[in-house]
Amino acid sequence: MSEADEKPLPELDLRLTEENPDDLYEHAPCGYCSCLPDGTLVKINQTMLDWLGYTRQELVARLCLQQLFTIGGRLHYEMHCAPLLILQGQVREISYTLRRKDGSTLPVLMNAVLRRDTDDKPLLIRVTMFDITDRRKYEQELLRAKDEAEKQRELLQHQNEQLTRINADLDGFVYTASHDLKQPIHNMAGLLNEFKSIATFHDPEADKMIGMFDQALQQILQTIEGLTEVVQRPRELEQAATEAVDLLPFTEEIIRSLQPREVKDVFKLDFAAVPTLRIARTALQSILYNLLSNALKYADPSRPPRIRVSTRLENDVPVLSVQDNGRGINIERHRSQLFQLFRRFHPEVEGVGIGLYLVNRLVAQAGGQIEVESEVGKGTTFHLYLPQ
Amino acid sequence: MDVLKRNNVSVSGAGSQTMVFVHGFGCNQRMWRLVAPAFEARYRVVLLDLVGAGQSDLTAYDPARYSSLAAHAEDILEVLRTLNLSDAVFVGHSVSAMIGVLAVIKDPTRFSRLILVAPSPRYLNDEGYNGGFEAADIEELLETMDNNYLGWSAAVTPMIMGHADRPALTEELNNSFCNTDPTIARHFARVTFLSDNRADLPLVRTPTLILQCAHDALAPVAVGGFLHQQIPNSQLVMLDTSGHCPHLSAPEATIKAIEAFLEPISSVSSL
Repeated sequence: MSEADEKPLPELDLRLTEENPDDLYEHAPCGYCSCLPDGTLVKINQTMLDWLGYTRQELVARLCLQQLFTIGGRLHYEMHCAPLLILQGQVREISYTLRRKDGSTLPVLMNAVLRRDTDDKPLLIRVTMFDITDRRKYEQELLRAKDEAEKQRELLQHQNEQLTRINADLDGFVYTASHDLKQPIHNMAGLLNEFKSIATFHDPEADKMIGMFDQALQQILQTIEGLTEVVQRPRELEQAATEAVDLLPFTEEIIRSLQPREVKDVFKLDFAAVPTLRIARTALQSILYNLLSNALKYADPSRPPRIRVSTRLENDVPVLSVQDNGRGINIERHRSQLFQLFRRFHPEVEGVGIGLYLVNRLVAQAGGQIEVESEVGKGTTFHLYLPQ
Repeated sequence: MDVLKRNNVSVSGAGSQTMVFVHGFGCNQRMWRLVAPAFEARYRVVLLDLVGAGQSDLTAYDPARYSSLAAHAEDILEVLRTLNLSDAVFVGHSVSAMIGVLAVIKDPTRFSRLILVAPSPRYLNDEGYNGGFEAADIEELLETMDNNYLGWSAAVTPMIMGHADRPALTEELNNSFCNTDPTIARHFARVTFLSDNRADLPLVRTPTLILQCAHDALAPVAVGGFLHQQIPNSQLVMLDTSGHCPHLSAPEATIKAIEAFLEPISSVSSL
């Protein structure tokens, strides 16, 4: 005996002693009934009679428990509950619907136990029922929502397959178009050179126009090269294996290719927190090359460029950041267009608007994502989240 | 494929004759535990679970294959072939009574007797035929099943997919004897209750016993009469019990009726 059991009961309100088992049975806040093993009702409480709208005389010894259910419930009882009661002596939390005398229905949850006589023969089934009107509505809402979610999922999967197909078609188209355009543009450039060497122009403006023509040709070629890369890089990466890339030498190499004559203090590298990244080497090459060349290209003419490349861990995910003190972009206005193909924000600087599009595609392909901070006149920071 | 494993076949008893017991919808071979042991002294007793039920290989349940009862009948013949059995006594409850009818028509040499417990060749009413149910009733049954699977449907699905990474839940569900995977149960219910095997009945040549319950919501007395009239060499025995499972509600009467029906073969084999 525990200490608590030894303590005397606190003084009770005398009215509580009025609680008697008969009244508790009849007016319990749940339905009670007892039946013979075949389901014939032998005893039923007032609560359940009130639910059903029958009198006791109409039910006892006249109807079976199963006959109080809708037909679906009755079938279920015969096939599932009746065998279970004999095999395991009880069933629990079975969801049925009672049919009232007036034809209306009442959802209930049923527990039942089988009592056996001294010879172990089935004697009596005791049944308890709870009114679950509101719960049933909620459950049906859940069932509907589940069905709906399943339908939506199928629809999304279908749309996804369609989009993937369209994307592949578009890539194919871009690749073919850029390939087919390249040859005639090269021919035009060759013809122009040929033309310059044999033709004489009297107009003093002619030289300037030829220069502009040349420049336009170069720009078209750059765009075409960019387009080819946009399609080809991600394709190559589908096959490329990821490897641990040592960030410091890797980035230094890219910087050397960007500024053959070293300018002091432009780049500051800090990979102490995450010295290596697991990624396809060519993808990281393209990503860093584009971000760093952009940082140089869009430097603010009024101050020397300062570019910081660093790594850190955020919730166990490595983040590679490229921060510059360049011209900056109005991020509030342009956020949605930042990574669009051919979208440019500094028309005064030469470029074709492919770099960031490619960077975004490659990061997404590597399973990562990009966040951008920027302020006009202050600079821009790209944060690349690259889950390993 | 291991057919015996697939259908969770268990063999017990001793005798030159074999009895094969097959359970009905919503349960498994344990349903026979008040009846089958009574025959173990004189018969070899084969129990099995239909694919999709009990401890059968749930991954073998391909809904396309099991979209008709013929696939289950083929499974039973496979079990009999594997055990090298012929002239067996087939005892089938409910839907498995019809599965037995299909099996016996396909390969009569495997069976000497057919015992149909609470059978029905068609549950739905039809012109000139009273099966007891309308299509809406069957939809209501499926709805009741759905209501009862709510909550643990997601928990059971991993079992059918073959990764039991939530052992606690699986165990809890297995504690209930007649558990079935909800997706399979739903499919099997549809196949069972929408099947129509009336045309097969006259093709049965094997001596057949029909055990009809006096008060059975699923297989009314008139349906037992129809079966008796359609199966050429059949006897109809009425069991004075309620419900759909006389082998559970009236096991002694069920055993007695089966013994009386088998009497001639038993005495022949004892000569």
